[in-house]
Amino acid sequence: MVEEKIVCIGCPLGCETTLKMDDQGEVVKITGTKCKEGRKYVLEEHRSPVRVFTATVLTQNSVRPLLPVRTNRPLLKTQLKEAAKVLSKVKVQPPLRMGQIILPNLMNIGVDVVATDDLVL
Amino acid sequence: MKFSEVDVAVIGSGPAGMAAAIKAREEGAEHVLILERQEQLGGLLHQCVHSGFGLLYFGQDLTGPEYAHRFIEKVRDLGIEILLETMVTQLSGDRKLTAINRYEGMIHLHPKSVVLAMGCRERSRGQLSIPGTRPAGIFTAGTAQRLVNVEGFIPGKKVVILGSGDIGMIMARRLTLEGVEVKAVIEILPYVGGLIRNEVQCLHDFDIPLLLEHTVTQIHGEQRVEAVTIAKVDKHKRPIDGTEQVVECDTLLLSVGLIPENELSRMAGITLDPLIGGPLVDERRETSVPGVFAGGNVVHVHDIVDDVSWEAEIAGSWAAKFSQKGDLERKEKITLKPGRNIRSIVPQTISGQSDVTFYIRVKEMEEKVQLKVGDLYQRSFRVAKPSEMIKVDLPVKELKKLDGRESELNVECEKGE
Ligand SMILES: Cc1cc2nc3c(=O)[nH]c(=O)nc-3n(C[C@H](O)[C@H](O)[C@H](O)COP(=O)(O)OP(=O)(O)OC[C@H]3O[C@@H](n4cnc5c(N)ncnc54)[C@H](O)[C@@H]3O)c2cc1C
Ligand code: SF4
Repeated sequence: MVEEKIVCIGCPLGCETTLKMDDQGEVVKITGTKCKEGRKYVLEEHRSPVRVFTATVLTQNSVRPLLPVRTNRPLLKTQLKEAAKVLSKVKVQPPLRMGQIILPNLMNIGVDVVATDDLVL
Repeated sequence: MKFSEVDVAVIGSGPAGMAAAIKAREEGAEHVLILERQEQLGGLLHQCVHSGFGLLYFGQDLTGPEYAHRFIEKVRDLGIEILLETMVTQLSGDRKLTAINRYEGMIHLHPKSVVLAMGCRERSRGQLSIPGTRPAGIFTAGTAQRLVNVEGFIPGKKVVILGSGDIGMIMARRLTLEGVEVKAVIEILPYVGGLIRNEVQCLHDFDIPLLLEHTVTQIHGEQRVEAVTIAKVDKHKRPIDGTEQVVECDTLLLSVGLIPENELSRMAGITLDPLIGGPLVDERRETSVPGVFAGGNVVHVHDIVDDVSWEAEIAGSWAAKFSQKGDLERKEKITLKPGRNIRSIVPQTISGQSDVTFYIRVKEMEEKVQLKVGDLYQRSFRVAKPSEMIKVDLPVKELKKLDGRESELNVECEKGE
């Protein structure tokens, strides 16, 4: 049987939980949770551990060296490092508005990178 | 605007200052003026490029700049006056204020009311007294955050972070994603200083070691940091002999706490809470000086920005009333007494005549507890932790039950079953 350990972040208690999966990958047992919301959270975190991805990108012809950005949808946590690498090579120019796409279809996964601030000058 | 006509002057334009100014304007104050020493509105939010802002206030997970943006637009729409690159240098007990900038030089104001929203500052090495040399490569976590997120500098290649506050953990993730090796986060307490969400998503996600009950005992290096010695500590937080190890690194980040920015408050003769460092306030967030209100991190350090905005709205609203009426009616005061396992309570006094939002911090982590405010309020918690502030709303109809009989209210955290 395969096991996965997940810390629940449902409340400040931060229970250390363990999920057991059968050969088909189905969760058969959850231990360590102390409540129903916790079980829901760890199941979700097991199925799809996603994170909001934020970063900064370099600018050109701007008084500001950097522009803060985010993806318009969360990424799997295993994709974060790769995403950061891709964005370290991106350069943008003013003018840009908050919410404007600065890089479409990041890593060909159908997620866009958008500005989280205006870049006026 | 003529400076002689200012109704409400707000010092600082972080989330607190902007929320206070907006509220004051909405409650009918005509001339609201924000004074900000930086070149833009928004305070710390600009360097907080990560998300986690506004989940409670807007029901949306925003980044710092996005959260700021919403308030900045409102400030502009409402015709609030703004003086940027303007540093307030003096405040007196009768609300006379001196500011300075390179356009107007010295500015003297006598606003009808004032809101303090100067935020907080980070504790630095001087306040920690770690022995060793004084090489380059030691930064507070917030300074590093500004360098990396706003100015575009990476502080080093191999980093050790002392303290597991939220800023330190957020920087651990940010630096890792920028290709920096974060060797470890060192925490002297037996538990993490920041939010559990940050422990999981900033440290566990990237396999960054977290060493609890450890501290940095020595910094090595002449020109630049070359290594630090870390050691395990006993329950009195003293390093244990024989547990020392040397960790090679070129940078040490300090994430060891924040203290309210209180220079102006001191100058004005405002009474400060000796433990928290911010002004003592009542439920209107009025300080000991009539007509001077305060909100946000200048009063006490909040964990989340949504609470900063809410608290500052209270200050802004009463500052508007004060500016219209010339004074506020003051009823006899009830003092909040921190009882069992309570570290701090804001506000420290209440009148019993208006709604109250309390922010409470416990001293020690404890499971299964009951929080009590006199006989008026009671709530059970699975766990209470110093790192997660507890917010309690008490409507005035509950407080009326006190009937003017009490001059003290005990707040305590009792052990449950
Ligand atoms: C590094 C860091 C990370 C954080 N991460 C999160 C998070 O993930 N989620 C979350 O919800 N919260 C987070 N917070 C908390 C939140 O950002 C802060 O609590 C919030 O910014 C505090 O708001 P404030 O308005 O009280 O202070 P600030 O934002 O600090 O604003 C104070 C302003 O006052 C100005 N000022 C000070 N003195 C003067 C003077 N004499 N004259 C003129 N202007 C002056 C300063 O320039 C500044 O602009 C974080 C905080 C920090 C420090
Ligand atoms: S399982 Fe329940 S009690 Fe435990 S951390 Fe999650 S939400 Fe909290």
